[in-house]
Amino acid sequence: MATAMTGRGFIGSIYGLLQTRLPVLGGGPLQLSCLHTSSLLESKSWERRNLKVYPPQLPDEPRRPAEIHHSRRQIKYSKDKLWYLAKMIRGMSVDEAIAQLEFNDKKGAKIMKEVLLEAQEMAVKNHNVEYKSNLYVAESYSGKGKYLKRIRYHGRGMFGIMDKVYCHYFVKLVEGSPPRKEERTSLDQAKEYIQSLKSRTIIHSL
Amino acid sequence: MAMPMRRTLLTLHRATQSNLKNAEASLDVLHPIPLLLPVRTKKRYFIPPAVGLKGKSEENPEAKARAAGIVFRQQYLERPINIACTAGIFDPYIPPEGDARLSTLSKEGLKQRTEQIRQSAASQLAIRKIKEHDSEFKTKDFAERAQEIFIEAHNALTQFNKEKLHSLVTERCYPEMTRGNRYKTIRWRFVESLEPPRVVHARCPDMVTKGNLYGQVTVRMHSKQTLAIYDRFGRLMLGSEEHSKDVLEYLVIERHLINPYGRWRLHGKIVPSWAPAKDPIIKTVIIPGPELKPGQEFDALNYEVPKPVAVQWYK
Repeated sequence: MATAMTGRGFIGSIYGLLQTRLPVLGGGPLQLSCLHTSSLLESKSWERRNLKVYPPQLPDEPRRPAEIHHSRRQIKYSKDKLWYLAKMIRGMSVDEAIAQLEFNDKKGAKIMKEVLLEAQEMAVKNHNVEYKSNLYVAESYSGKGKYLKRIRYHGRGMFGIMDKVYCHYFVKLVEGSPPRKEERTSLDQAKEYIQSLKSRTIIHSL
Repeated sequence: MAMPMRRTLLTLHRATQSNLKNAEASLDVLHPIPLLLPVRTKKRYFIPPAVGLKGKSEENPEAKARAAGIVFRQQYLERPINIACTAGIFDPYIPPEGDARLSTLSKEGLKQRTEQIRQSAASQLAIRKIKEHDSEFKTKDFAERAQEIFIEAHNALTQFNKEKLHSLVTERCYPEMTRGNRYKTIRWRFVESLEPPRVVHARCPDMVTKGNLYGQVTVRMHSKQTLAIYDRFGRLMLGSEEHSKDVLEYLVIERHLINPYGRWRLHGKIVPSWAPAKDPIIKTVIIPGPELKPGQEFDALNYEVPKPVAVQWYK
């Protein structure tokens, strides 16, 4: 301890500590503004998509459907496990998706339901959506968050690096009724195959 | 971790040594077998950060600094704030009922039109105080200037020119004008003025200390304007661009009189209690219903939507 306190180094460490405690000393108003920003959420592209402004539409153009992007970061869950739920609700209407998630037993389902409800409320309040049920899930996927690393002890002095997994969840709600999925029967697929065989061109033949 | 391996290897080594000694007892031992064989140990390539951080908490560096004799100058955590505008409208003007509803040819209409500011003594005192500080203040010119400020401020709002808007509008009025408008498109047009603007009221309040004077002047304007607000996706939210509306407004213009660089800026609007209701927005909105106890049912037929009380308020 005593060896660590050597003259200039000691004063430097004290000054450094005080500097970190009182950010006002350094740059004034500029530094104060960065007291409360979180390093994870500074200008992420998914949230920035909500800030795009379109020019006013002419009266004869078809009404542009509203799009709302919402996400939740650093959820304590695995991205692979969350993907199953995200894939399940793709293309569903918002009410249907919320109902399915409410009665699903997985941990990620509760979090996803909160995210969807938040997005629905944001849509009505901030993005001029008229009916909160008139929305459907256009895009929904999970992404990898920042992992924490820990040691997992094995036998014989061996160790493994244990990852504490975190994930992000992204959802995009679009105004309108959900698009109908085109059902292709096996007969249709067979017909298309035969058509592609028939429409082949054979070059350099007699 | 490496220790147990080494120990087992040593014992193995000694065992083999003893065996060898027995086997080679007859033969001559030419060279001694070394006691420690170099063994490749497991090198830790990755050390997670949590391991090295134990025991780094320093006890009290400030106390140690004082003991060492270092003196720090007292830090003043202060930030000077300049108050350039008041927080509200002091002693507001109460517009008479039925203003601008009667035609100017009738007796009552003429009475309304000829109502002059000389009737109120407090306004006269205030105007005299303003003229002490600002020598160029004239009631007749000021109304025209006020209208110009109003038109320029709203044009800056449509283009969202922040610097120009701050110079034309006080800090109290700025958030009221711009809240929620950042991601919307506003199209506003001043068509014409139906009546010449008039100064109807003036007050000179002072904030905090006695000599800190601010001048607030109320101007009455009757004009035709068009307003259309589009949301983020370009869909019409309110109003229309072709239909213009007759608007009767009471603007409050303020200036920090003591400051030689102060400017007359729009401070707010007075909305009288008898003002007609504004046009509804295009979309339908859910009104939150009454709070029900468990077991109580909502009677949709007999439920009356509560209407807001007609009060004069300041925008």
